[in-house]
Amino acid sequence: MNGLTAGFAAGPVLFEIDMEIAPGELIALVGANGAGKSTLLGTLSGLVRARAGSIAFSGRDITNARPEAIVKAGIAHVPQGRRLFDTMSVEKNLRLGAYARRDGDIDAEVRSVLEYFPALKDKLNREARTLSGGEQQMVAIGRGLMARPKLLMVDEMSLGLAPKIVDRLIDVVKDIHAAGTALLLVEQDVLVALDVAQRAYVLENGRMVLAGAAADLRDDPNIRKAYLGL
Amino acid sequence: MAAFAQLVIIGLLAGGIYAAVGVGFGLVWGVLNIVNLAHGALVIIGAYLTWQMFAVWGVDPFLTLPIDAIALFVLGYAVQRGVINRIIRAPLLFTFLLTFGLNLIAVNVLLLIFKSDFRSVTTAYSGAGLELGGLVIPYIRLAALGIALVMAAVLAILLSRTRVGLAIQAVGSDRDAAQLVGIDLRHAYAVTFGLGAAVAGVAGGMIAMIQAITPTAGEPYTLQAFVVVILGGLGRVSATVVGGLVFGLVEAFGQSIPGSGSVFANAIAFGVMVLILVTRPQGLMGRLR
Ligand SMILES: Nc1ncnc2c1ncn2[C@@H]1O[C@H](COP(=O)(O)OP(=O)(O)O)[C@@H](O)[C@H]1O
Ligand SMILES: [Mg+2]
Repeated sequence: MNGLTAGFAAGPVLFEIDMEIAPGELIALVGANGAGKSTLLGTLSGLVRARAGSIAFSGRDITNARPEAIVKAGIAHVPQGRRLFDTMSVEKNLRLGAYARRDGDIDAEVRSVLEYFPALKDKLNREARTLSGGEQQMVAIGRGLMARPKLLMVDEMSLGLAPKIVDRLIDVVKDIHAAGTALLLVEQDVLVALDVAQRAYVLENGRMVLAGAAADLRDDPNIRKAYLGL
Repeated sequence: MAAFAQLVIIGLLAGGIYAAVGVGFGLVWGVLNIVNLAHGALVIIGAYLTWQMFAVWGVDPFLTLPIDAIALFVLGYAVQRGVINRIIRAPLLFTFLLTFGLNLIAVNVLLLIFKSDFRSVTTAYSGAGLELGGLVIPYIRLAALGIALVMAAVLAILLSRTRVGLAIQAVGSDRDAAQLVGIDLRHAYAVTFGLGAAVAGVAGGMIAMIQAITPTAGEPYTLQAFVVVILGGLGRVSATVVGGLVFGLVEAFGQSIPGSGSVFANAIAFGVMVLILVTRPQGLMGRLR
C-alpha cells in the first residue's frame, strides 16, 4: 500500500498511508477510536474509495477494484461488529462466505471451519442472531475463512467479549496463522494485538505514525506512553 | 351462512391478485429499500403485453404469462442496472422521486402506443365458471388464484434454496457484509428488481383477463401493493401472500355492507392498514426486529 489517501464524501480520513504485509505474516494495526482503522480495512476490501495512492496484492493492482474482485484475489475482511446475516442460519452464513469461490469443495471448507470452532458444530441450524457475542464472532471469522483467503483482516475481534473468550479466539488466530494465512488484526485493545502479532502499525488521526516489531513497541516505555496510551 | 361463504370465496379470489401484485413490490422494498411507485406501471405493462399477444396475435392469454414474466424481468433488470442503481444509496426521497418519474414515463409511453381506450381480453371461456350453491366462480379467477399461489411459492423457494436467492437475501440483510463475501451488489439488485417486475408482469397478465385496462389502471395497484405488504409484514414472501388474501377478504366484506360500494370498501381496507400500523407495525406475519 503506497501513499494511500481515502475517505468519505465529507473529506479524507486517511492520509498517505504506506503499509506492507508479507505472505503469511501476522500484523497488528492499532490506534485510538476514530483513528481510521476500519476505514483502512474498507479501502483494502473495496468498500471505501481511494483518492490517491495505490494498493497492490500478490503483484496485482487492486486499487478501487470491486469488492467481489478483491475477495476473489484472496483478501477476506471480517468487519467490525460481526455483521452477520442475522436471520439466516449459521450454516448459510458460512456458505455465503464461500460465495466468491467457484472452485473446490464447500462442504469440506465448512468442516475445516468447524475444526477451528467446534462450539459451532451443534449450532449450524440456529439463526445467527440467536448466538452469543463470542459465537457470532466465531461465525464471522469462519465466514471470512470460507473464502480461503491469503490475507484475513479481522476488525475489532475482541470488542465487547469476555477475556476468556478473547483468549480462545486468539488461539484460533494463531492456528490460522500457523496454517499459512496472513492476518491483519485491528484492535483498540492494544495488548491483545501486540501479544500475538509479529509486526505492528500505529495509526493516529488518519496517519501512520509508527511501525515496527510488535514486541519492541510493546516493551518501549516511551512508545507505550506516547502512542499506545498505556 | 351461504352469503358468508360467498364473501369468503370472492375475497380470496380477489386476494390472490393482490398477493401477486404485492409480492414483487415487497421483495423490492425489503431487499433494495425502495418503495417502487412505478410498480403499478409494471403490472399494467404486463397487462398490455397479454392484451397485445391475445388481441393482435391470437395467443391464449394464459400462455402469454410466462412471456410477460421474461419480458418484465429483462425490463426490470435493465431499469435497475441503468437507472435506479445510480441512486441506490441516496435518501428515500430520491428513490420516491425517481420511481414516480419512471411511472409517469411508463404511463405516457403506454398512452402513446395504446391510447386511453379501455382494452379487455375476452376469451371463449371468459364467462365460464364453477357453480357452487348458487354462486358462479369464474374459472379464470380460480386459475389466477392458483397461479398467484404457485408463483409466490416458486419465488420463496428460489430465494431460500438457490445461490442467487441466498445472495439476494444476504444483500437485504446487510449490503456491506454481502459485498465482503463477494456478492456483486449491482447484479444482485438488478436481479431482485427484475424478479419483482416479472411477478408484477404476470399479475398484470391475469388482471387483463379479469378487468378492462387503461394505461393509468396500474396506479391503484401500487397503493394496494403497499397496503398488502404492510398488512402481511415486510421481509417474507409468505407474509405478503397472507396480506394479499386478508386485504381481499376485508374488501369483500366491506363491499357487502348495505349501501357501501367500492369507495367505502377502500376506506375499510385502508382503515385496517392504519389499525395494523398502530397495533402491530411488523405486520400480521412479520417478525419483530
Ligand atoms: N461511513 C462513513 N461516512 C463518513 N464518515 C465516516 C464513515 N465511517 C467512518 N467515518 C469517519 O472516519 C473516521 C475514522 O473512522 P473509523 O475508520 O471507523 O475509525 P476506527 O476504526 O479507527 O475507530 C471517523 O472520524 C469517522 O467519523
Ligand atoms: Mg473501527
